[in-house]
Amino acid sequence: MLQRPDGLRLIAERFPDDPVILTLGGTVREMLAVAGRRPNHLPILDAMGQPAAIGLGLALGVGEAEARGRVIVVEGDGSLLMGLSSVATIGHLRPDNLLLIVFDNGVYQATGGQPTAAGDADFAAIAHACGWPSATDVDSDATAFADALTWAEDQPGPVLLRVRIGTETVETDFFLEDPVILARDFMTWLGQRRQAQLQG
Amino acid sequence: MTPPDARSQAVIHGLERVDPEFVLHLPSSTLKHVLEHFLRGAGATARRRVFPIPREEEGISILAGLSLARRRAVMIFQDNGVGNLLTSLLTFPQPYHLPLFGIVTRRGGIGEYNSMIHTISERTEAILEAAGVRFIQLDGRTPTEEWADSIARAHEFSVTTHRPVFVLVNLMGG
Repeated sequence: MLQRPDGLRLIAERFPDDPVILTLGGTVREMLAVAGRRPNHLPILDAMGQPAAIGLGLALGVGEAEARGRVIVVEGDGSLLMGLSSVATIGHLRPDNLLLIVFDNGVYQATGGQPTAAGDADFAAIAHACGWPSATDVDSDATAFADALTWAEDQPGPVLLRVRIGTETVETDFFLEDPVILARDFMTWLGQRRQAQLQG
Repeated sequence: MTPPDARSQAVIHGLERVDPEFVLHLPSSTLKHVLEHFLRGAGATARRRVFPIPREEEGISILAGLSLARRRAVMIFQDNGVGNLLTSLLTFPQPYHLPLFGIVTRRGGIGEYNSMIHTISERTEAILEAAGVRFIQLDGRTPTEEWADSIARAHEFSVTTHRPVFVLVNLMGG
């Protein structure tokens, strides 16, 4: 079974130059542990239920600016369920540059492993029913996930990948950076990338 | 549809001075003229994206994403939805210092036809103050001819102070 740190490592390697929105504490800390601090990564420290909608806004923002870009959102099953209405809004607006990766471990891991309701939720079917052109379940191993990321690049967006993962974690410290700095660093990187794309 | 009243027209003028590239809206009978302007009126331009959102907190998150990309946007909604958006507002755009802008129509005061909405609407200012959310009020105490300028300046205030700012507008005569 794919474990979240391994999935995050693949995402960091595959998307070094695209904005990556990272859901909540556990995912943020594990990404820092496996890939370090990246300027294109925006850690969402405690805004449960919001990453998909934040990614939607960012996808609309960069997608309709002069320089187009892809936006990757790394979301968990519990957080997606908290903001599930965003799946309908994304399906309505259909930003073709949005990739939503749902790491589904079936539990609220950061708070002690209480179960979520995701076991009975078919996220890919929900996305399709809301108008997403591309959504699929991915087998829970590293090769299948890497292949799915490649597949997603060729699909019309928005794209949803739902990957069931295990609950193994890596040892991490708390991440206590000032959120103002996180936003400013990310926006600076985004602006520099836009300038480079316009000049290139 | 009847022509917009002076206050709705002032809100439209103020928002057009902001010139939002994105307009997010929730349902509101008191805002119908403002919404009509952006959905089917002169404000429905090709370079502007106008779309519905199902909940206020989702709108806050979308606005925050647009703010990260430095785009001009506004969410138009009723004050009885302020409770919905607080956690979203205070866990992402407010602590991350992202400018956001919202037009919030007042309900529950004089002229209200709903028998219960005042229960939450009358507490809007207290809720926002307790949450540390900056807002300005436009109602009968401010001459209508000053509304448009106040709305434009409130948007600028949000950008220059790097935080969410809401304008509470009373379109029911209070």
